Amino acid sequence: MTDQTEELAALLARVALRDRAAFETLYSVASPKLFAICLRLLKDRREAEDALQDVFMKIWNNADRYLPDIGSPAAWLNTVARNHAIDRLRARKSAVGIEAAETVPDPSPGPEAAAITRSEGRRIDDCLAALLPDRAEAVRRAYVEGESYRELSDRFSVPLNTMRSWLRRSLIQLRECLTP
Amino acid sequence: MTDAASPLGEDDIALAGEYVLGTLELDERRAIARRIAQDSAFAVEVARWEARLDPLADEVRPIAPPAHVWKGVERGLFGAPRARAGLWGWFAGASGLAAALLAAVLWLGEPLPTQQGPLWISDMVSEDGEVRLAALYDEGRGEMRVSMGGDGPGDGRDFELWLIQGDAVISLGVMPHEGQAAMPIPEDLRDLVANATLAITDEPTGGSPTGVATGPIVAAAPLRRI
Repeated sequence: MTDQTEELAALLARVALRDRAAFETLYSVASPKLFAICLRLLKDRREAEDALQDVFMKIWNNADRYLPDIGSPAAWLNTVARNHAIDRLRARKSAVGIEAAETVPDPSPGPEAAAITRSEGRRIDDCLAALLPDRAEAVRRAYVEGESYRELSDRFSVPLNTMRSWLRRSLIQLRECLTP
Repeated sequence: MTDAASPLGEDDIALAGEYVLGTLELDERRAIARRIAQDSAFAVEVARWEARLDPLADEVRPIAPPAHVWKGVERGLFGAPRARAGLWGWFAGASGLAAALLAAVLWLGEPLPTQQGPLWISDMVSEDGEVRLAALYDEGRGEMRVSMGGDGPGDGRDFELWLIQGDAVISLGVMPHEGQAAMPIPEDLRDLVANATLAITDEPTGGSPTGVATGPIVAAAPLRRI
C-alpha cells in the first residue's frame, strides 16, 4: 500500500466511525478529484456542484461499505462520484446530447493536479491497445465522458445493439487482460 | 471463460462491467443496484470492475470545487454549519495536530493581529504528517502570515506557496525554511483570496523558475473564515 492509500483508508475508517474532523480532511483531500469527475461527466458546473454535495453526503453515510480487500480507497471514492453523476446523466431527458461535451474545457494542470494522481503501472493502456481502436475509444468515452450506448452508437454510426455487443466483448477481453 | 474466483457466468460478468462502465439506461442501472444489494457474488464482481477500470479516471485532472459545496454538505448532514465561537472555539473543533500547531506556532507569545477585517485560516499538513504549515490571512490588512512547522525542504529546495481559486493558480512566494513570514498580498489578488485553497509545492531554491509549479504538491488545504 502506498502512503496515500493508507492515509485515505485510515480517513475512511474514521469517517465510518462518524469522525467529523476526519470527514473534513477527507473532503479537502478528495473533493478536487471527485469534483473534476462530476464535471467531466455532467458538463455543467452548477449540476456538478450539486452532485458533489450529494456525493459527500453519500460518502459520510456509506463509508463503512468500502471493501479494502478488493479495491483502493481512491477507487471507491471515484466510484461513488461516478455512480451518482451517471445516474443524474441518465435521468436527464435524452435531448441533451453530445453537443454539450465541448463546453467545458480541459483545465490546464496546476499544482493541485498532482495531488491525488496515482502512479500505478498503466497496464490498462496496454490492454486497451490490444482492442480495436474504435472499441478502445468507445470504452474510454463511456467511462470518462459518460456517453450512453445511444450516444456511442450515433458517434460511431453503428446500430445500438452492435455497439452493445462491441463493448460487452471488449469488457470480457479487458478483464482477461487485466486479471493477474 | 469463467474466472475461478467468480461463480458468475460471462453474461453476468459483462453486465457488471457495463454497470461500472456506465453505459446502461437508468431503469437498468436501478435494477442492477437492487441486485448488488441482494447478490453478494454479483456485488463482488462489480467491485472488481470498479478496481479494474479505475485507472481510466487518472486522465481526469483535479479541480478545486467552490467553498459553498462544503457548506452545503455540512448543512445537509449536520444542520447548520459548525458554529465557531471565535478563535478558541474553532481550535476546539478543528483536528488536533494542525490546530495545536497553529496555536503554538502562530499565536502563542504573539498578540493577534489588529483585526480590521475578516480573518481566514488554512492548515496544511503533508500526507505523512512531516510537513506542517499554517497560514492566517487578514483581509483588512491584505496580509498573509505563514508559519512553518515540521520538516523543511531538502537541500537546494524551497517550498513555494500557491493560491488556487477556480482554475487560477498564483504564486504567493517562497516559504521560510522555519519560523514565520508575513507576505503582503498585492491589491489585485485580494479578491481571489476568500475561499481559495492554499498549496505548497517542492521547488528549486528561489521557487519555480517558470512561474508554474514544477514540483509535487507537499500539502494543500482550503482557507476557512474564522
